[in-house]
Amino acid sequence: MKTIDLGKQTLRRRDILALMGGAAVTGALGLPAWAQEAKKGGVLKVAAPANPSSLDPATGGAGSDHSILWTMYDTLVEWDYETLKPKPGMAKWAFPDPKTMVLDITTGIKFHDGTPMDAEAVKFNLERNRTDQRSNVKPDLSSVDAVEVTGPLQVTLKLKNPDTALPAILSDRAGMMVSPSNIKALGNETDRKPVGAGPWKFVRWNDNEIIVVARHDQYWRQGRPYLDGIEFNIIPENATALRSVVAGQNDMAFQLPARLKPVIERAKNLETVTSPTLYCIQLYLNYARSPLDNVKVRQAINFALDRDAFVKAALNGLGEPARMTLPSSHWAFNKDVAGMYPNNPERAKQLLAEAGYKDGLELTIGGYMDQDSVRRGEVIQDQLGKAGIRLKFTRGTIAEISAQFFATEKKFDLLVSAWTGRPDPSMTYGLSFDKGAYYNAGRSGEPELSKLIQESRVSEDLAKRAEVFAKIQKFTVENALSAPLAFQFELDALSAKVKGFKPNLLGKPKFENISLG
Amino acid sequence: MLNSGRLRIIGRRLLQAIPVVVLSTFIVFGLLKLVPGDVAVTLAGDNASEQRIAEIRELYGLNQPFLLQYGSWLWKAAHGDLSSSLISNEAVLTSIQRCLPHTLLIVALALFMAMLVGIPLGIAAATKPGSWIDGFVMAIASLGVAVPNFWLGMLLVAFFSLQLNWLPATGAVSLMKDPWASLSHAILPAVALASGGIAEVARQLRSSLVEILSSQQVRTLHAKGLPPSSILWRHGLKNVSVNLLTVVSLLANRLLAATVVVEAVFAIPGMGGLIVNGAMNRDFPVVQGVVFTMVLIVVTLNLLTDILYSVLDPRISS
Repeated sequence: MKTIDLGKQTLRRRDILALMGGAAVTGALGLPAWAQEAKKGGVLKVAAPANPSSLDPATGGAGSDHSILWTMYDTLVEWDYETLKPKPGMAKWAFPDPKTMVLDITTGIKFHDGTPMDAEAVKFNLERNRTDQRSNVKPDLSSVDAVEVTGPLQVTLKLKNPDTALPAILSDRAGMMVSPSNIKALGNETDRKPVGAGPWKFVRWNDNEIIVVARHDQYWRQGRPYLDGIEFNIIPENATALRSVVAGQNDMAFQLPARLKPVIERAKNLETVTSPTLYCIQLYLNYARSPLDNVKVRQAINFALDRDAFVKAALNGLGEPARMTLPSSHWAFNKDVAGMYPNNPERAKQLLAEAGYKDGLELTIGGYMDQDSVRRGEVIQDQLGKAGIRLKFTRGTIAEISAQFFATEKKFDLLVSAWTGRPDPSMTYGLSFDKGAYYNAGRSGEPELSKLIQESRVSEDLAKRAEVFAKIQKFTVENALSAPLAFQFELDALSAKVKGFKPNLLGKPKFENISLG
Repeated sequence: MLNSGRLRIIGRRLLQAIPVVVLSTFIVFGLLKLVPGDVAVTLAGDNASEQRIAEIRELYGLNQPFLLQYGSWLWKAAHGDLSSSLISNEAVLTSIQRCLPHTLLIVALALFMAMLVGIPLGIAAATKPGSWIDGFVMAIASLGVAVPNFWLGMLLVAFFSLQLNWLPATGAVSLMKDPWASLSHAILPAVALASGGIAEVARQLRSSLVEILSSQQVRTLHAKGLPPSSILWRHGLKNVSVNLLTVVSLLANRLLAATVVVEAVFAIPGMGGLIVNGAMNRDFPVVQGVVFTMVLIVVTLNLLTDILYSVLDPRISS
């Protein structure tokens, strides 16, 4: 057994930076076979954790879809695996002025059905994404005022307000280009018969069973992809998914829970890959009403949590303690507020007393029913209990509990769940804390914060943007608008013949670099 | 076999099935709407706003009155259209046609194993009540009932797939495509599923057979000088066959439900996975379609049982 382990204990910022530096030298996160020429051919069999919501990027909704979508759709913009900094994909971008974005499309790209991937196709896609009734990515493109074709391979976006989150947004669903002729021909049927311009083309999708993709021979990147095809066998039960890899029926399983790490290590000929992600396990707070409208109570919760212990107890050490909604390896991480809430139950009690809860208080909390969520809940219950905060748990399915918390019912003071991460931090903060945002259960918001979130989208310079994000993080952390606990590390099991796999910070695997040895 | 009496039974039963189907799908539909959680939230995706969720409700007709939604589903179903999944847009009938054979195969195989092993065990125990064979069979039976089938399934995989590499650990293959591969995939889940069934068949058969064999009728047969084997086979088993049929038909219905867990353990894309996924996402056309199919199967099984009753015991025919 060979282990590529980035997180023996809990990673600190400088450890991760050191690893990143090392990665830059070797070319990848310590992958030994990387330097060798990748072999072409073969079909990769992957155990995928969920049935996709749709294979049309615009109409789908689940965060688990991306890994499958990326095999069929290339995006206009891509990102750096380790930091998620945007980089050119099928197009290069520029902001000649803050309210204009120009996209220059690479020549010679064709969709799987032969339709050229040109300015007209990009315009068609962006217009569909921002206006179509069934499009779920409309809000992502709300800053776009008009899409103009300014050359055979050039599209110009006129913006209502400066929006430098757009490159990152165009690396996500909104930037996945679908063949216009396919949509015109099939309409809603594109959900199940997708045509993109990615490295593989769609072959078959049986719900809850299998998705098959096969090599696109006219793929625009020379020499790619390495694999002839990929078979996604949908196995929601992750212990079963891992068993299928141990038994050799699948070559790889991804997004496994930390508790399965010993099982992978016990198996012969399996490789363990762990790597930091943006997936943030956290307590969501409904801070629009009593008692969590009191900042002291929210701060008390943050002081009561022992994040290092949480990572050890609930994640088998496979995680990074979370001090804000971004991990330390992210380009917009603000180290100045990272030390604001050390574990201090006494301080928590004192804050509670100041808030008028001398004898502690009882809070209602929602949680999910799966094994890992229950374990997390128990750890949190114990930690908060030490500071006199008693939790009354209600458990149910994800759909049920999250709707009760976020939608109209407004049940529970707290919800233990996770933030799955977004390509651009302005999306993360806008969706979680802005006034009226869905993931801000109480819907209340400070004008100051809204202003900062808008400001974070003005400059194109990442250093300048990072300064604004530092202010946003200071605001959200000082006001304790959430209680982040830990960034879960990705855990994947690979059979020995899988070469070249690189995890990414988003925590949603891409298969473009994989070859079968 | 199909005399007019039986045809009448079939006709009556089929008519009775209609209210059963309507009532059960109505109850399930109602439950899906009563429990919190909303398919519109799932459909609206990760970046949903309240406004978008409202838009989705409008778009998919989810804001229509409850009875209207159910009525339109029922109307379509009555015309053979089970609609499509709200989430993935796959036709529910297509999903069921693909999933049902996998589930039926493991249930049929499990039922077959339960009888193949359970009946001889039951007979062996009943012919020598109180002996060590009896004790042994009853111990096995208790164990079979006590062991959860998903746990047994994991043990079987650990030993036969991961250790010995004899049988596949996960997945399923269509019987039409490759019968041998299909059976090799189905054996372990069927064994896991059959364990409780073996126990039940053996116990029930033993107790009714013991009762028959100690009856006055059998004592008379002994006195008449009939050899014990002929008493057992010709008189004993014939008398318990109706009881056995009841046990087996109840077992068949229960195994259909029990596949949900076993399918998850073995990653079999069957009806269990379909309904669990559908229920989790509140994807009601899928849930309704599965319930509808299952009710039809159970009604058919019960009908078949009734017909067999009258074959085994002519007194029941009317």
